[in-house]
Amino acid sequence: MTTTGQTMAVLRRELAIERAGREVLTTTLPLTAAFVVLAGLAFGPVPRDLASTAGGTVWLAVLVATVPVARALLSAELTEDAWDVMRGLTTPGSLYAGKLLAVWAALGTVWVLASGLVIVLFGVEPPAAALSAGVLGTLALASLTTTVGVLVASGARRRGLLPALVLPAGLPALLAGAQLSTPGVPALPWVVLLTSYAAVVLSASWAVFPALLEE
Amino acid sequence: MTPPRRRPRLPDRVLAVGAALTSGAALVVALAIAPPDAMQGQAQRLMYVHVPAAWLAYACFALVLVASVAYLLRRDLRWDRRAQAAGELGVGMTALAIVLGSLWGRPVWGTWWVWDPRLVTTVVLLLVYAGYLSVRGLGDDRDTGARRAAAVGILGFVNVPVVHFSVVWWRTLHQPATVLSPDPAPMDARMALALLLAVVAFSLAGWLVLRRRVRALAEHDGALPPQDLPAGPRIVVRAGARP
Repeated sequence: MTTTGQTMAVLRRELAIERAGREVLTTTLPLTAAFVVLAGLAFGPVPRDLASTAGGTVWLAVLVATVPVARALLSAELTEDAWDVMRGLTTPGSLYAGKLLAVWAALGTVWVLASGLVIVLFGVEPPAAALSAGVLGTLALASLTTTVGVLVASGARRRGLLPALVLPAGLPALLAGAQLSTPGVPALPWVVLLTSYAAVVLSASWAVFPALLEE
Repeated sequence: MTPPRRRPRLPDRVLAVGAALTSGAALVVALAIAPPDAMQGQAQRLMYVHVPAAWLAYACFALVLVASVAYLLRRDLRWDRRAQAAGELGVGMTALAIVLGSLWGRPVWGTWWVWDPRLVTTVVLLLVYAGYLSVRGLGDDRDTGARRAAAVGILGFVNVPVVHFSVVWWRTLHQPATVLSPDPAPMDARMALALLLAVVAFSLAGWLVLRRRVRALAEHDGALPPQDLPAGPRIVVRAGARP
């Protein structure tokens, strides 16, 4: 089977697991909705305050969602010998790419939900550059979440380390995403930062992922 | 019976003497020769410890990156020990830079803490590398822990340029880089000398700490060759003799 075929097989497996368990649908999306509603309550009700915090709220919601998404998409690997089976069937690159696409889809869904809620509840209209942030930022965070998630999930101890590792390391996506989602902010420098961040995180994750799968 | 104290190696002694001499010189120049800042007064002298601490932290995190890459390429635990020692020193220096910056900010900005991009990103960097040190306890064996730590050591470095350039990218209370800037601001020669001596002193002391910590980690791993082990009392067992 080709690398692309293996990648798509891993992606189909992840989506089948989600269809069967509905982990992201029943845990992460309600968490995101609750987060945005409570943020509006905490930062509002003055429209000016809501407008200035809308972009940050969306990206904080996406960043926080990386933790349950990682747990949901790696839960199948927690059973005994699951990693050995996966390693035997696919190459590390295909495994990484398949899981990355699944996490990207989940975080993209979270971003769409959070942005929609902010538009409706906060009464703001995000700039067009917010779309580029949605694509690049969720891709970078998906890469980080996949790598760190596998790193923590394949260990026997300290699984609570996942948020302590992912949340601070996702800082550039949070900052650039929030700025790109705020009207009136020049987009180019933040697009450059987010593109660079996504490129570096993807490359580094791709390079170190095989080492994480070694026995 | 306590084991006899080991005599420090020659490079360690040279580093210790160099660090002591440059520290003394930096103290004299920073406190007695360099003038106080025209705007900030005496509080500005905290710069002579705050900036070197931040510089050493950056250098340590760069070493974590290099040593992590080297470990993954060569699978030699010596590189992992270097990465761990550098990570520990980097976390300590980052915490020191934050505390000293806060002490400096109180008289100058009128507050211990502001939501300034440089301050926030530096604290986040501290959290990233605290996580890096925590990952070391994840593995079931030494090599697995080293592999995972190396992965985090590589990914964690992404935030270092963000911290450094935060004062350029955002409107910030924190002053922009004075020396390491494309357009360096003019500085009194005595201030520059004090800062340079302090940076050299911190670098030499940091190098010494790294060497000693790497050796301590090697002893813990049981990886030191016999000549590096402490010279303790020797028991000679002759043939036929009862031990």
